[in-house]
Amino acid sequence: MADKMKENPENLPLLGRKLLWLDNKNHVRKLIFGLYVTCALLFLADFFYKKKTYLDLEDIPGFYAVYGFGMCVIFVLCARALRSIVARDVTYYGSKDVQAEEYPEEGLSRETLND
Amino acid sequence: MIDVFPPAFFFFIAAAIIPFLPHGIFRTLVLLFAPLIAGLYIFDLSHGVSSQIELAGLSLELMRVDKLSVVFGLIFCLASFLGNLYALHVRDSVQQIAALAYVGSAVGAVFAGDLVTLFLYWEGAAITSVFLIWARRTQGAYHSGMRYLIMQIASGVILLGGTVLLYRETGSIAFEAMTLGSFPTWLIFIAFGIKCAFPLLHNWVQDAYPAATVTGTVILSSFTTKLAVYALARGFPGTEILIYIGATMTLFPIFYAVIENDLRRVLAYSLNNQLGFMVVGVGVGTELALNGTAAHAVSHILYKSLLFMSVGAVLFRTGTAKATQLGGLYKSMPLTMIFCVIGCASISAFPFFSGFVTKSLILSGAAKEGYYVVWGILLFASACAFHYSGIKIPYFAFFSHDSGLRPKEAPTHMLWAMGITAALCIGVGVFPSVLYSLLPYEISYNAYSITHVITQLQLLFFSALAFTVLLRAGIYPPMLKAVNLDFDWTYRKLLPAIFGSSASYVTRFWSAITLFGMAKIDRVISGLYRSHGPEGRMARVWPTGAMVLWIAIILTATMIVNFI
Repeated sequence: MADKMKENPENLPLLGRKLLWLDNKNHVRKLIFGLYVTCALLFLADFFYKKKTYLDLEDIPGFYAVYGFGMCVIFVLCARALRSIVARDVTYYGSKDVQAEEYPEEGLSRETLND
Repeated sequence: MIDVFPPAFFFFIAAAIIPFLPHGIFRTLVLLFAPLIAGLYIFDLSHGVSSQIELAGLSLELMRVDKLSVVFGLIFCLASFLGNLYALHVRDSVQQIAALAYVGSAVGAVFAGDLVTLFLYWEGAAITSVFLIWARRTQGAYHSGMRYLIMQIASGVILLGGTVLLYRETGSIAFEAMTLGSFPTWLIFIAFGIKCAFPLLHNWVQDAYPAATVTGTVILSSFTTKLAVYALARGFPGTEILIYIGATMTLFPIFYAVIENDLRRVLAYSLNNQLGFMVVGVGVGTELALNGTAAHAVSHILYKSLLFMSVGAVLFRTGTAKATQLGGLYKSMPLTMIFCVIGCASISAFPFFSGFVTKSLILSGAAKEGYYVVWGILLFASACAFHYSGIKIPYFAFFSHDSGLRPKEAPTHMLWAMGITAALCIGVGVFPSVLYSLLPYEISYNAYSITHVITQLQLLFFSALAFTVLLRAGIYPPMLKAVNLDFDWTYRKLLPAIFGSSASYVTRFWSAITLFGMAKIDRVISGLYRSHGPEGRMARVWPTGAMVLWIAIILTATMIVNFI
């Protein structure tokens, strides 16, 4: 069973051990900072080349950046509103419905790093 | 007379011999080599050849080889090889036979030159594929499979109806480009639309695909809907209504994808969204857009298989694909995580990944023809695709909060399948000219223009920024264990409720009428009994003497008549 277990890095595969770098919150903060910097640089990049476009709108510097950000925010807000309308209990279609049932064990091969 | 051997038969022969082979190396060889041989055979076919047989007075064109059918045939064979490699651990003959027969039907359908042959393979794909859902062997999967089968068979029956009426109207069953207008063409269009998961006809995808087995979903995701895209590209290129249908398809599933907890269901919604791009390409109908549809179908099959494989591997090891129960798996399943991220980069259309060089063909095709609103919708859907699929899937499965689960890495054959698929996703992205050379029309398209690279990176990075900001601000909807009602609610709840209450009202009405009628009849009978019965008022005046006299008269008359 893939139960919760105490962390022992030596159990992890080599690549997994290397990726433990991500476990450190400071490193995650650095990654997020890197994202902010990349976004800023990409926004500024629009001022340094000649765009080949189909629409006049696209010529506005940062159009794609603003469109991408703005649309995603609207998208998530709409999805939140949608959830309040459509979400129901997981057994709404019955306790034997595929959304309520567990995946049958015969089709699985649960193995943990302890095995 | 069959002049050209149909490649579908490689799969049918393999499916026929599989049950007689012991599990192990022999089955492995058949499962892997059947699609490879079929693929090589298709690659080697001369374009323009056809093969016809006479059946019941009809001339059936079993094989029609051109660039459109070849590119779909090739990717179907490749997807079958990868799916079978991923499923090598499966010891269930039903799934192995179903997978081969299903792919055979899909390959047969893309080479079908007439509507009757198409119908036969169309239904073949429906019937064989449902076993990949039923193979889960639970009550829930059985019901999902039944709903899937009803939709698929309905699509086939409507296709047959359309074909028969079209034959009456035109005297031809050829599967060529049609003009949408007459009743038969609408029937055929709707049949294709059901299989292509058009809006409101789409829920069988989200219902059935997550209900299939770990490996069955990988196989299912590649064929049925892409066969429908092929059929639309063949039958209805340049049909304007498809542009708006496709744009709607890119839009509405993404809202469900972002709030859905089951990651395989998220991928099913995402599949719907990606189909929308292809449908728009067919609707635009120019050479660039149709090339885009074919190219995007190829890259979509690859990255969608890869995503279903990686989430399937997580399910295989942990027993769940629910975001609420996962997280932190990157430590113990790092390779699966990397392959998943490659699939996500491809679906999100990052430069050097497959989606980048294929999706843009469709967007350019729409913009060139002046469909700017549709172009804006597709751009919106692209940004959001990165959001709900590109980031959400790996984030909640492999990162997010640590679930404490430390499953082993996926089995070796699964890693190989994912690794090869990931390499192909990158290969298509880095060397698009190889894929472009297989497309139906000549193409000179530079996906790696500075404008395209920078604008796409802006779109994606700012989409990632929105995800980060919303998540940190607590606005991003947390994953919840819930069922999200979609249009299938109408036929799973509303219609049964309407039929149920109607039946109950009719029964009650009938009972009331019957009771009323019986009471009336009872009253009449008892009234008559009261008046004419032995104790009745009328009985008191019965002249018994007169009756005896009359009997005597009748007897006498009878005797006289006898003597005379």
